[in-house]
Amino acid sequence: MLKDITFGQYFESNSFIHKLDPRTKMLLLIAVIVFIFVSQNAVALSLVALLIFVSMILSKVPLKMYLKNLKAILPIIIFTMIINLFYNASGDVILSFWKLTITTGSIYRALYMAARILLLIIASAELTYTTTPNDLTDAIEKLLSPLKFIGLKNAVHTLAMMMTIALRFIPTLIEETQKIMNAQKARGADLENGKLIERIKALIPILIPLLISSVRRAYELAEAMECRCYNGGEGRQRMKQLKYKSNDFTAFATVTIVCSAVVAINIIL
Amino acid sequence: MSILEVKNLTHTYDGNTPFMHDAVKNVNFSIEKGEIVGIIGHTGSGKSTLVQHLNGLLKPTSGEILLDGKNIWDDPKKIRSIRSRVGLVFQYPEYQLFEDTVYKDIAFGPKNMGLSENEIAKRISEISELVGIKPEYLDKSPFDLSGGEKRRVAIAGVMAMQPEIIVFDEPVAGLDPRGRADVVQMISDYRNKYNATVLIISHNMEDMALIADRLIVMNKGEMVLFDTTENVFKQYELLKSIGLNVPMVTQVMLSLKEKGLNIPDDIFTVDRAVDYLLTLIKGGNYNA
Repeated sequence: MLKDITFGQYFESNSFIHKLDPRTKMLLLIAVIVFIFVSQNAVALSLVALLIFVSMILSKVPLKMYLKNLKAILPIIIFTMIINLFYNASGDVILSFWKLTITTGSIYRALYMAARILLLIIASAELTYTTTPNDLTDAIEKLLSPLKFIGLKNAVHTLAMMMTIALRFIPTLIEETQKIMNAQKARGADLENGKLIERIKALIPILIPLLISSVRRAYELAEAMECRCYNGGEGRQRMKQLKYKSNDFTAFATVTIVCSAVVAINIIL
Repeated sequence: MSILEVKNLTHTYDGNTPFMHDAVKNVNFSIEKGEIVGIIGHTGSGKSTLVQHLNGLLKPTSGEILLDGKNIWDDPKKIRSIRSRVGLVFQYPEYQLFEDTVYKDIAFGPKNMGLSENEIAKRISEISELVGIKPEYLDKSPFDLSGGEKRRVAIAGVMAMQPEIIVFDEPVAGLDPRGRADVVQMISDYRNKYNATVLIISHNMEDMALIADRLIVMNKGEMVLFDTTENVFKQYELLKSIGLNVPMVTQVMLSLKEKGLNIPDDIFTVDRAVDYLLTLIKGGNYNA
Protein backbone atom coordinates (compact mmCIF):
# COMPACT_ATOMS: atom_id res chain seq x y z
CA MET A 1 0.00 0.00 0.00
CA LEU A 2 2.53 2.56 1.18
CA LYS A 3 5.22 1.52 -1.23
CA ASP A 4 3.08 2.59 -4.19
CA ILE A 5 3.75 6.26 -3.48
CA THR A 6 5.87 7.38 -6.42
CA PHE A 7 5.71 11.16 -6.24
CA GLY A 8 9.12 12.68 -5.69
CA GLN A 9 10.90 9.56 -6.84
CA TYR A 10 14.22 10.12 -8.56
CA PHE A 11 14.81 8.18 -11.75
CA GLU A 12 18.47 7.47 -12.41
CA SER A 13 19.60 8.30 -15.94
CA ASN A 14 22.17 10.38 -17.78
CA SER A 15 19.96 12.45 -20.07
CA PHE A 16 20.20 16.05 -21.23
CA ILE A 17 17.61 17.04 -18.62
CA HIS A 18 19.36 15.13 -15.81
CA LYS A 19 22.60 16.95 -16.56
CA LEU A 20 21.08 20.43 -16.38
CA ASP A 21 21.91 22.51 -13.35
CA PRO A 22 19.15 22.05 -10.73
CA ARG A 23 18.74 25.83 -10.53
CA THR A 24 18.08 25.94 -14.26
CA LYS A 25 15.47 23.23 -13.95
CA MET A 26 13.79 24.94 -11.04
CA LEU A 27 13.69 28.39 -12.64
CA LEU A 28 12.49 26.97 -15.94
CA LEU A 29 9.79 24.96 -14.19
CA ILE A 30 8.53 28.16 -12.56
CA ALA A 31 8.60 29.92 -15.95
CA VAL A 32 6.73 27.07 -17.63
CA ILE A 33 4.11 26.98 -14.87
CA VAL A 34 3.58 30.74 -15.19
CA PHE A 35 3.22 30.47 -18.95
CA ILE A 36 0.76 27.59 -18.69
CA PHE A 37 -1.48 30.17 -17.04
CA VAL A 38 -0.45 33.06 -19.29
CA SER A 39 -1.53 31.11 -22.38
CA GLN A 40 -4.97 32.36 -23.29
CA ASN A 41 -5.85 30.05 -26.14
CA ALA A 42 -5.34 26.53 -27.37
CA VAL A 43 -2.58 27.45 -29.82
CA ALA A 44 -0.46 29.08 -27.13
CA LEU A 45 -1.11 26.23 -24.70
CA SER A 46 -0.19 23.59 -27.25
CA LEU A 47 3.09 25.39 -27.81
CA VAL A 48 3.86 25.04 -24.07
CA ALA A 49 2.64 21.44 -24.23
CA LEU A 50 5.02 20.77 -27.10
CA LEU A 51 7.90 22.18 -25.07
CA ILE A 52 7.02 19.94 -22.09
CA PHE A 53 6.57 16.94 -24.35
CA VAL A 54 9.99 17.41 -25.95
CA SER A 55 11.61 17.75 -22.52
CA MET A 56 9.81 14.56 -21.42
CA ILE A 57 11.37 12.66 -24.29
CA LEU A 58 14.76 14.20 -23.60
CA SER A 59 14.54 13.15 -19.93
CA LYS A 60 14.58 9.44 -20.93
CA VAL A 61 12.24 8.70 -18.01
CA PRO A 62 9.81 5.96 -19.11
CA LEU A 63 6.38 7.27 -20.06
CA LYS A 64 4.91 4.75 -17.60
CA MET A 65 6.31 6.73 -14.68
CA TYR A 66 4.44 9.85 -15.79
CA LEU A 67 1.23 7.94 -16.37
CA LYS A 68 1.41 6.33 -12.93
CA ASN A 69 1.53 9.78 -11.41
CA LEU A 70 -1.43 10.97 -13.46
CA LYS A 71 -3.57 8.09 -12.28
CA ALA A 72 -3.51 9.50 -8.77
CA ILE A 73 -4.84 12.92 -9.81
CA LEU A 74 -7.37 11.63 -12.31
CA PRO A 75 -10.30 12.31 -9.91
CA ILE A 76 -9.25 15.97 -9.62
CA ILE A 77 -9.06 16.31 -13.39
CA ILE A 78 -12.46 14.70 -13.91
CA PHE A 79 -14.00 16.87 -11.20
CA THR A 80 -12.59 20.03 -12.79
CA MET A 81 -13.87 18.97 -16.19
CA ILE A 82 -17.39 18.33 -14.92
CA ILE A 83 -17.56 21.66 -13.11
CA ASN A 84 -16.32 23.50 -16.20
CA LEU A 85 -18.66 21.59 -18.44
CA PHE A 86 -21.69 23.26 -16.84
CA TYR A 87 -20.40 26.69 -15.90
CA ASN A 88 -19.64 28.20 -19.26
CA ALA A 89 -22.43 29.22 -21.53
CA SER A 90 -20.65 30.53 -24.60
CA GLY A 91 -21.01 28.98 -28.06
CA ASP A 92 -23.74 26.75 -29.47
CA VAL A 93 -25.92 24.70 -27.15
CA ILE A 94 -25.33 20.99 -27.66
CA LEU A 95 -27.29 19.46 -24.85
CA SER A 96 -29.69 20.96 -22.36
CA PHE A 97 -31.53 19.28 -19.52
CA TRP A 98 -33.02 20.48 -16.27
CA LYS A 99 -31.00 23.63 -15.41
CA LEU A 100 -27.80 22.40 -17.03
CA THR A 101 -26.59 23.15 -20.51
CA ILE A 102 -23.56 21.91 -22.34
CA THR A 103 -22.26 24.15 -25.10
CA THR A 104 -19.34 23.97 -27.53
CA GLY A 105 -17.73 26.71 -25.45
CA SER A 106 -18.03 24.73 -22.25
CA ILE A 107 -16.60 21.56 -23.79
CA TYR A 108 -13.66 23.57 -25.07
CA ARG A 109 -13.24 25.11 -21.63
CA ALA A 110 -13.36 21.74 -19.85
CA LEU A 111 -10.72 20.23 -22.11
CA TYR A 112 -8.59 23.35 -21.78
CA MET A 113 -8.66 23.19 -17.96
CA ALA A 114 -7.87 19.48 -17.96
CA ALA A 115 -4.92 20.11 -20.24
CA ARG A 116 -3.64 22.80 -17.92
CA ILE A 117 -3.68 20.53 -14.87
CA LEU A 118 -2.09 17.69 -16.82
CA LEU A 119 0.74 19.92 -17.98
CA LEU A 120 1.29 21.30 -14.46
CA ILE A 121 1.61 17.82 -12.97
CA ILE A 122 3.80 16.45 -15.73
CA ALA A 123 6.17 19.39 -15.60
CA SER A 124 6.56 19.28 -11.80
CA ALA A 125 6.92 15.50 -11.79
CA GLU A 126 9.66 15.78 -14.37
CA LEU A 127 11.68 17.98 -12.01
CA THR A 128 11.58 15.37 -9.23
CA TYR A 129 12.20 12.48 -11.62
CA THR A 130 15.35 14.07 -13.01
CA THR A 131 16.81 15.82 -9.96
CA THR A 132 18.05 14.20 -6.76
CA PRO A 133 16.58 15.62 -3.54
CA ASN A 134 20.03 16.84 -2.54
CA ASP A 135 20.46 18.75 -5.78
CA LEU A 136 17.03 20.26 -5.30
CA THR A 137 17.79 21.62 -1.87
CA ASP A 138 21.19 22.89 -3.05
CA ALA A 139 19.38 24.75 -5.77
CA ILE A 140 16.87 26.22 -3.33
CA GLU A 141 19.65 27.34 -1.03
CA LYS A 142 21.53 28.96 -3.90
CA LEU A 143 18.44 30.60 -5.37
CA LEU A 144 17.39 32.02 -2.01
CA SER A 145 20.91 33.16 -1.11
CA PRO A 146 20.16 36.81 -1.97
CA LEU A 147 18.06 36.83 1.22
CA LYS A 148 21.28 36.97 3.24
CA PHE A 149 21.57 40.64 2.30
CA ILE A 150 18.50 41.34 4.39
CA GLY A 151 19.91 39.48 7.40
CA LEU A 152 18.45 36.04 6.74
CA LYS A 153 21.66 34.18 5.90
CA ASN A 154 21.27 31.46 8.51
CA ALA A 155 17.58 31.14 7.84
CA VAL A 156 18.22 30.18 4.22
CA HIS A 157 20.75 27.53 5.15
CA THR A 158 18.55 26.17 7.93
CA LEU A 159 15.57 25.95 5.61
CA ALA A 160 17.60 24.07 3.01
CA MET A 161 18.97 21.70 5.67
CA MET A 162 15.48 21.05 7.01
CA MET A 163 14.25 20.23 3.54
CA THR A 164 17.16 17.87 2.94
CA ILE A 165 16.48 16.07 6.21
CA ALA A 166 12.75 15.88 5.57
CA LEU A 167 13.27 14.40 2.11
CA ARG A 168 15.92 12.02 3.39
CA PHE A 169 13.59 10.62 6.05
CA ILE A 170 10.48 10.04 3.94
CA PRO A 171 11.52 6.52 2.85
CA THR A 172 12.74 5.72 6.37
CA LEU A 173 9.42 6.73 7.88
CA ILE A 174 7.44 4.80 5.29
CA GLU A 175 9.46 1.71 6.14
CA GLU A 176 9.04 2.32 9.86
CA THR A 177 5.27 2.77 9.50
CA GLN A 178 5.03 -0.48 7.60
CA LYS A 179 6.99 -2.27 10.34
CA ILE A 180 4.85 -0.90 13.16
CA MET A 181 1.67 -1.72 11.25
CA ASN A 182 2.84 -5.30 10.82
CA ALA A 183 3.77 -5.56 14.48
CA GLN A 184 0.37 -4.32 15.65
CA LYS A 185 -1.38 -6.55 13.14
CA ALA A 186 0.57 -9.45 14.60
CA ARG A 187 -0.99 -8.51 17.95
CA GLY A 188 -4.41 -8.78 16.38
CA ALA A 189 -5.00 -5.13 15.47
CA ASP A 190 -7.68 -4.73 12.81
CA LEU A 191 -6.78 -1.90 10.45
CA GLU A 192 -8.96 -2.72 7.47
CA ASN A 193 -12.46 -3.18 8.87
CA GLY A 194 -14.86 -1.29 11.07
CA LYS A 195 -16.62 2.05 11.04
CA LEU A 196 -14.85 5.34 10.49
CA ILE A 197 -14.44 6.05 14.23
CA GLU A 198 -13.08 2.56 14.89
CA ARG A 199 -10.65 2.86 12.03
CA ILE A 200 -9.38 6.19 13.30
CA LYS A 201 -8.98 4.68 16.77
CA ALA A 202 -7.08 1.78 15.24
CA LEU A 203 -4.46 4.26 14.06
CA ILE A 204 -3.44 5.23 17.60
CA PRO A 205 -1.25 2.13 18.16
CA ILE A 206 0.57 3.07 14.95
CA LEU A 207 0.86 6.83 15.27
CA ILE A 208 2.16 6.92 18.84
CA PRO A 209 5.14 4.59 18.28
CA LEU A 210 5.82 6.41 15.00
CA LEU A 211 5.84 9.77 16.73
CA ILE A 212 8.08 8.51 19.52
CA SER A 213 10.55 6.97 17.14
CA SER A 214 10.62 10.16 15.05
CA VAL A 215 11.52 12.20 18.11
CA ARG A 216 14.15 9.63 19.04
CA ARG A 217 15.59 9.77 15.52
CA ALA A 218 15.63 13.55 15.65
CA TYR A 219 17.66 13.51 18.88
CA GLU A 220 20.07 10.95 17.48
CA LEU A 221 20.49 12.86 14.25
CA ALA A 222 21.07 16.16 16.08
CA GLU A 223 23.68 14.50 18.24
CA ALA A 224 25.40 12.90 15.27
CA MET A 225 25.48 16.27 13.50
CA GLU A 226 26.96 17.98 16.54
CA CYS A 227 29.56 15.23 16.87
CA ARG A 228 30.71 16.14 13.39
CA CYS A 229 30.95 19.79 14.45
CA TYR A 230 27.94 21.00 12.49
CA ASN A 231 27.13 24.56 13.49
CA GLY A 232 24.99 25.96 10.74
CA GLY A 233 25.93 27.29 7.34
CA GLU A 234 28.70 29.64 8.47
CA GLY A 235 31.88 29.00 6.46
CA ARG A 236 30.62 25.75 4.98
CA GLN A 237 31.94 24.74 1.60
CA ARG A 238 30.63 22.30 -0.95
CA MET A 239 32.31 19.41 -2.64
CA LYS A 240 30.03 19.77 -5.65
CA GLN A 241 29.85 23.38 -6.81
CA LEU A 242 26.84 24.32 -8.89
CA LYS A 243 27.93 25.82 -12.19
CA TYR A 244 25.94 26.83 -15.26
CA LYS A 245 27.19 25.14 -18.43
CA SER A 246 26.41 25.60 -22.11
CA ASN A 247 23.52 23.11 -21.82
CA ASP A 248 21.85 25.41 -19.33
CA PHE A 249 22.04 28.36 -21.71
CA THR A 250 20.51 26.26 -24.49
CA ALA A 251 17.64 25.36 -22.15
CA PHE A 252 17.15 28.96 -21.00
CA ALA A 253 17.16 30.20 -24.62
CA THR A 254 14.65 27.57 -25.76
CA VAL A 255 12.21 28.32 -22.96
CA THR A 256 12.58 32.09 -23.48
CA ILE A 257 11.76 31.73 -27.18
CA VAL A 258 8.70 29.56 -26.44
CA CYS A 259 7.52 32.00 -23.78
CA SER A 260 7.83 34.99 -26.09
CA ALA A 261 5.98 33.04 -28.76
CA VAL A 262 3.18 32.41 -26.24
CA VAL A 263 2.93 36.14 -25.53
CA ALA A 264 2.94 36.90 -29.26
CA ILE A 265 0.19 34.37 -29.96
CA ASN A 266 -1.84 35.77 -27.06
CA ILE A 267 -1.66 39.25 -28.63
CA ILE A 268 -2.35 38.17 -32.22
CA LEU A 269 -5.24 35.77 -31.60
CA MET B 1 0.92 -34.77 12.47
CA SER B 2 3.17 -31.72 12.39
CA ILE B 3 1.69 -28.59 13.88
CA LEU B 4 3.16 -26.33 11.21
CA GLU B 5 3.97 -27.23 7.66
CA VAL B 6 5.40 -24.97 4.96
CA LYS B 7 4.95 -26.28 1.43
CA ASN B 8 6.75 -24.93 -1.66
CA LEU B 9 6.64 -21.41 -0.26
CA THR B 10 7.80 -18.71 -2.68
CA HIS B 11 7.47 -14.99 -2.15
CA THR B 12 8.22 -12.46 -4.87
CA TYR B 13 8.61 -8.81 -3.97
CA ASP B 14 7.75 -6.01 -6.41
CA GLY B 15 6.30 -8.32 -9.05
CA ASN B 16 6.27 -6.87 -12.60
CA THR B 17 8.70 -4.06 -11.81
CA PRO B 18 12.43 -3.78 -12.48
CA PHE B 19 12.96 -4.36 -8.73
CA MET B 20 11.29 -7.79 -8.80
CA HIS B 21 13.08 -10.48 -6.83
CA ASP B 22 12.33 -13.69 -4.97
CA ALA B 23 12.83 -13.14 -1.25
CA VAL B 24 11.91 -16.74 -0.46
CA LYS B 25 12.27 -19.54 -2.98
CA ASN B 26 10.51 -22.89 -2.77
CA VAL B 27 10.92 -23.49 0.95
CA ASN B 28 9.62 -26.72 2.51
CA PHE B 29 9.69 -27.80 6.13
CA SER B 30 7.48 -29.09 8.89
CA ILE B 31 7.71 -28.53 12.60
CA GLU B 32 6.48 -30.75 15.43
CA LYS B 33 4.55 -29.55 18.46
CA GLY B 34 6.75 -28.39 21.34
CA GLU B 35 9.91 -28.03 19.29
CA ILE B 36 12.25 -25.04 19.44
CA VAL B 37 13.46 -24.34 15.93
CA GLY B 38 16.14 -21.78 15.14
CA ILE B 39 16.34 -19.95 11.82
CA ILE B 40 19.78 -18.72 10.89
CA GLY B 41 21.01 -16.97 7.79
CA HIS B 42 22.87 -13.97 6.54
CA THR B 43 21.18 -10.53 6.46
CA GLY B 44 18.81 -10.50 3.48
CA SER B 45 18.59 -14.29 3.29
CA GLY B 46 14.79 -14.18 3.57
CA LYS B 47 14.39 -15.13 7.26
CA SER B 48 12.10 -12.24 8.17
CA THR B 49 10.05 -12.61 4.99
CA LEU B 50 9.67 -16.30 5.76
CA VAL B 51 8.35 -15.84 9.29
CA GLN B 52 5.89 -13.13 8.24
CA HIS B 53 4.11 -15.79 6.21
CA LEU B 54 3.54 -18.00 9.22
CA ASN B 55 0.88 -15.72 10.74
CA GLY B 56 -0.47 -14.44 7.46
CA LEU B 57 1.07 -10.96 7.46
CA LEU B 58 2.38 -11.79 4.01
CA LYS B 59 0.52 -13.88 1.50
CA PRO B 60 2.59 -16.47 -0.36
CA THR B 61 3.14 -15.76 -4.05
CA SER B 62 2.88 -19.52 -4.39
CA GLY B 63 2.85 -22.45 -1.98
CA GLU B 64 0.97 -22.84 1.27
CA ILE B 65 1.24 -22.70 5.05
CA LEU B 66 -0.55 -25.51 6.90
CA LEU B 67 -1.42 -25.01 10.56
CA ASP B 68 -2.62 -28.28 12.10
CA GLY B 69 -2.98 -29.53 8.53
CA LYS B 70 -5.23 -26.64 7.46
CA ASN B 71 -4.15 -24.00 4.96
CA ILE B 72 -4.25 -20.68 6.83
CA TRP B 73 -5.49 -18.88 3.72
CA ASP B 74 -8.51 -21.19 3.28
CA ASP B 75 -10.67 -18.38 4.59
CA PRO B 76 -8.89 -15.02 4.11
CA LYS B 77 -11.48 -13.31 6.35
CA LYS B 78 -10.41 -15.39 9.32
CA ILE B 79 -6.71 -14.55 8.97
CA ARG B 80 -6.87 -12.42 12.13
CA SER B 81 -7.71 -15.48 14.20
CA ILE B 82 -4.54 -17.15 12.87
CA ARG B 83 -2.55 -14.30 14.40
CA SER B 84 -3.65 -15.22 17.90
CA ARG B 85 -2.60 -18.82 17.28
CA VAL B 86 0.75 -17.93 15.74
CA GLY B 87 2.34 -15.08 17.71
CA LEU B 88 5.08 -13.02 16.09
CA VAL B 89 7.51 -10.89 18.08
CA PHE B 90 9.28 -8.51 15.74
CA GLN B 91 12.80 -7.18 15.96
CA TYR B 92 13.11 -4.42 18.59
CA PRO B 93 9.53 -5.00 19.77
CA GLU B 94 9.88 -2.25 22.38
CA TYR B 95 9.40 0.32 19.60
CA GLN B 96 5.77 -0.79 19.27
CA LEU B 97 4.73 0.07 22.82
CA PHE B 98 2.11 2.80 22.81
CA GLU B 99 -0.23 2.63 25.80
CA ASP B 100 0.12 4.77 28.93
CA THR B 101 0.55 1.83 31.28
CA VAL B 102 2.36 -1.48 31.02
CA TYR B 103 -0.89 -3.29 31.90
CA LYS B 104 -2.83 -1.72 29.02
CA ASP B 105 -0.05 -2.40 26.58
CA ILE B 106 0.10 -6.10 27.42
CA ALA B 107 -3.72 -6.16 27.25
CA PHE B 108 -3.77 -4.88 23.65
CA GLY B 109 -3.37 -8.31 22.05
CA PRO B 110 -5.82 -10.20 24.31
CA LYS B 111 -8.35 -7.36 23.88
CA ASN B 112 -8.14 -7.68 20.09
CA MET B 113 -8.94 -11.37 20.56
CA GLY B 114 -12.17 -10.33 22.25
CA LEU B 115 -11.40 -11.83 25.67
CA SER B 116 -13.28 -10.73 28.79
CA GLU B 117 -11.72 -8.28 31.27
CA ASN B 118 -11.42 -11.08 33.84
CA GLU B 119 -9.64 -13.39 31.48
CA ILE B 120 -7.32 -10.57 30.39
CA ALA B 121 -6.44 -9.74 34.01
CA LYS B 122 -5.77 -13.40 34.71
CA ARG B 123 -3.51 -13.77 31.70
CA ILE B 124 -1.59 -10.60 32.47
CA SER B 125 -0.78 -11.67 36.01
CA GLU B 126 0.25 -15.09 34.73
CA ILE B 127 2.48 -13.74 31.99
CA SER B 128 4.04 -10.94 34.02
CA GLU B 129 5.09 -13.52 36.57
CA LEU B 130 6.54 -15.70 33.83
CA VAL B 131 8.57 -12.92 32.22
CA GLY B 132 9.49 -11.31 35.55
CA ILE B 133 7.53 -8.05 35.47
CA LYS B 134 6.83 -7.05 39.08
CA PRO B 135 3.15 -6.24 39.86
CA GLU B 136 3.99 -2.62 40.75
CA TYR B 137 5.40 -2.15 37.25
CA LEU B 138 2.01 -2.79 35.66
CA ASP B 139 0.78 0.72 36.45
CA LYS B 140 3.94 2.44 35.23
CA SER B 141 4.28 4.02 31.83
CA PRO B 142 6.19 1.69 29.52
CA PHE B 143 8.26 4.66 28.40
CA ASP B 144 9.76 5.07 31.88
CA LEU B 145 11.30 1.59 31.80
CA SER B 146 14.83 0.62 30.81
CA GLY B 147 15.54 -0.92 27.41
CA GLY B 148 15.60 -4.49 28.73
CA GLU B 149 12.39 -4.00 30.72
CA LYS B 150 10.62 -2.55 27.68
CA ARG B 151 11.65 -5.60 25.67
CA ARG B 152 10.12 -7.85 28.37
CA VAL B 153 6.84 -5.91 28.30
CA ALA B 154 6.69 -6.07 24.51
CA ILE B 155 7.34 -9.81 24.49
CA ALA B 156 4.76 -10.28 27.25
CA GLY B 157 2.28 -8.43 25.00
CA VAL B 158 2.50 -11.22 22.46
CA MET B 159 2.77 -14.04 25.01
CA ALA B 160 -0.44 -12.86 26.71
CA MET B 161 -2.30 -13.95 23.60
CA GLN B 162 -1.08 -17.46 24.49
CA PRO B 163 -0.26 -18.50 20.94
CA GLU B 164 0.41 -22.19 20.28
CA ILE B 165 3.30 -21.20 18.06
CA ILE B 166 5.42 -18.18 18.89
CA VAL B 167 7.96 -16.73 16.50
CA PHE B 168 10.76 -14.40 17.57
CA ASP B 169 12.71 -12.24 15.15
CA GLU B 170 16.10 -11.49 16.73
CA PRO B 171 14.73 -11.43 20.29
CA VAL B 172 18.07 -10.64 21.93
CA ALA B 173 19.37 -8.01 19.48
CA GLY B 174 20.82 -5.00 21.28
CA LEU B 175 20.57 -6.43 24.81
CA ASP B 176 23.38 -6.83 27.33
CA PRO B 177 24.48 -10.37 28.34
CA ARG B 178 22.16 -10.36 31.34
CA GLY B 179 19.18 -9.21 29.29
CA ARG B 180 20.00 -11.82 26.67
CA ALA B 181 20.06 -14.64 29.19
CA ASP B 182 16.76 -13.40 30.66
CA VAL B 183 15.02 -13.36 27.29
CA VAL B 184 16.29 -16.83 26.42
CA GLN B 185 15.01 -18.03 29.80
CA MET B 186 11.59 -16.40 29.19
CA ILE B 187 11.30 -18.17 25.87
CA SER B 188 12.00 -21.60 27.26
CA ASP B 189 9.76 -20.96 30.29
CA TYR B 190 6.91 -20.05 27.97
CA ARG B 191 7.47 -23.17 25.92
CA ASN B 192 7.48 -25.39 28.98
CA LYS B 193 4.45 -23.83 30.59
CA TYR B 194 2.15 -23.79 27.57
CA ASN B 195 3.72 -26.66 25.63
CA ALA B 196 4.16 -24.18 22.81
CA THR B 197 6.16 -24.48 19.63
CA VAL B 198 8.87 -21.84 19.20
CA LEU B 199 10.69 -20.45 16.18
CA ILE B 200 13.60 -18.09 16.71
CA ILE B 201 15.56 -16.05 14.20
CA SER B 202 18.96 -15.21 15.60
CA HIS B 203 22.49 -14.34 14.64
CA ASN B 204 23.74 -15.58 17.94
CA MET B 205 24.98 -19.12 17.46
CA GLU B 206 25.71 -19.56 21.18
CA ASP B 207 22.05 -18.97 22.07
CA MET B 208 20.98 -21.30 19.27
CA ALA B 209 23.28 -24.03 20.56
CA LEU B 210 21.71 -23.62 23.99
CA ILE B 211 18.02 -23.79 23.19
CA ALA B 212 17.30 -24.87 19.62
CA ASP B 213 16.35 -28.49 18.90
CA ARG B 214 16.60 -28.07 15.17
CA LEU B 215 17.94 -25.38 12.87
CA ILE B 216 16.80 -24.02 9.53
CA VAL B 217 19.63 -22.46 7.54
CA MET B 218 18.60 -19.90 4.92
CA ASN B 219 20.77 -18.54 2.14
CA LYS B 220 19.62 -16.14 -0.61
CA GLY B 221 15.97 -17.07 -0.09
CA GLU B 222 16.52 -20.80 -0.17
CA MET B 223 16.58 -23.27 2.67
CA VAL B 224 19.97 -24.96 2.50
CA LEU B 225 19.78 -27.06 5.67
CA PHE B 226 17.11 -28.27 8.06
CA ASP B 227 18.47 -30.63 10.66
CA THR B 228 19.21 -31.06 14.35
CA THR B 229 21.35 -28.32 15.85
CA GLU B 230 24.16 -30.83 16.26
CA ASN B 231 24.16 -31.93 12.64
CA VAL B 232 23.95 -28.35 11.37
CA PHE B 233 26.90 -27.13 13.42
CA LYS B 234 28.94 -30.08 12.18
CA GLN B 235 28.78 -28.56 8.69
CA TYR B 236 31.36 -25.95 9.53
CA GLU B 237 32.64 -25.45 5.98
CA LEU B 238 29.16 -25.05 4.47
CA LEU B 239 28.10 -22.53 7.13
CA LYS B 240 31.29 -20.56 6.61
CA SER B 241 30.77 -20.46 2.83
CA ILE B 242 27.39 -18.70 3.27
CA GLY B 243 28.73 -16.16 5.75
CA LEU B 244 27.62 -17.88 8.94
CA ASN B 245 29.59 -19.38 11.75
CA VAL B 246 29.47 -22.02 14.46
CA PRO B 247 29.51 -21.09 18.17
CA MET B 248 32.72 -19.52 19.40
CA VAL B 249 33.52 -22.46 21.63
CA THR B 250 33.17 -24.86 18.70
CA GLN B 251 35.65 -22.76 16.76
CA VAL B 252 38.10 -23.03 19.65
CA MET B 253 37.58 -26.79 19.83
CA LEU B 254 38.07 -27.11 16.08
CA SER B 255 41.39 -25.26 16.22
CA LEU B 256 42.51 -27.45 19.12
CA LYS B 257 41.62 -30.45 17.02
CA GLU B 258 43.67 -29.08 14.14
CA LYS B 259 46.61 -28.86 16.53
CA GLY B 260 46.27 -32.60 16.97
CA LEU B 261 44.18 -32.89 20.12
CA ASN B 262 41.69 -35.72 20.44
CA ILE B 263 38.46 -33.73 20.26
CA PRO B 264 35.13 -34.59 18.60
CA ASP B 265 33.50 -31.94 16.40
CA ASP B 266 30.15 -31.78 18.20
CA ILE B 267 30.91 -29.51 21.15
CA PHE B 268 28.65 -26.46 20.95
CA THR B 269 28.31 -25.23 24.51
CA VAL B 270 30.89 -23.99 26.98
CA ASP B 271 29.71 -26.49 29.64
CA ARG B 272 30.33 -29.45 27.38
CA ALA B 273 33.69 -28.08 26.32
CA VAL B 274 34.73 -27.73 29.97
CA ASP B 275 33.60 -31.29 30.78
CA TYR B 276 35.41 -32.70 27.81
CA LEU B 277 38.64 -30.82 28.36
CA LEU B 278 38.68 -31.83 32.05
CA THR B 279 38.36 -35.53 31.27
CA LEU B 280 41.02 -35.09 28.61
CA ILE B 281 43.43 -33.50 31.10
CA LYS B 282 42.68 -36.04 33.81
CA GLY B 283 43.13 -38.93 31.42
CA GLY B 284 46.37 -37.51 30.13
CA ASN B 285 45.42 -38.80 26.71
CA TYR B 286 45.76 -35.56 24.69
CA ASN B 287 46.64 -36.79 21.25
CA ALA B 288 44.33 -38.22 18.66
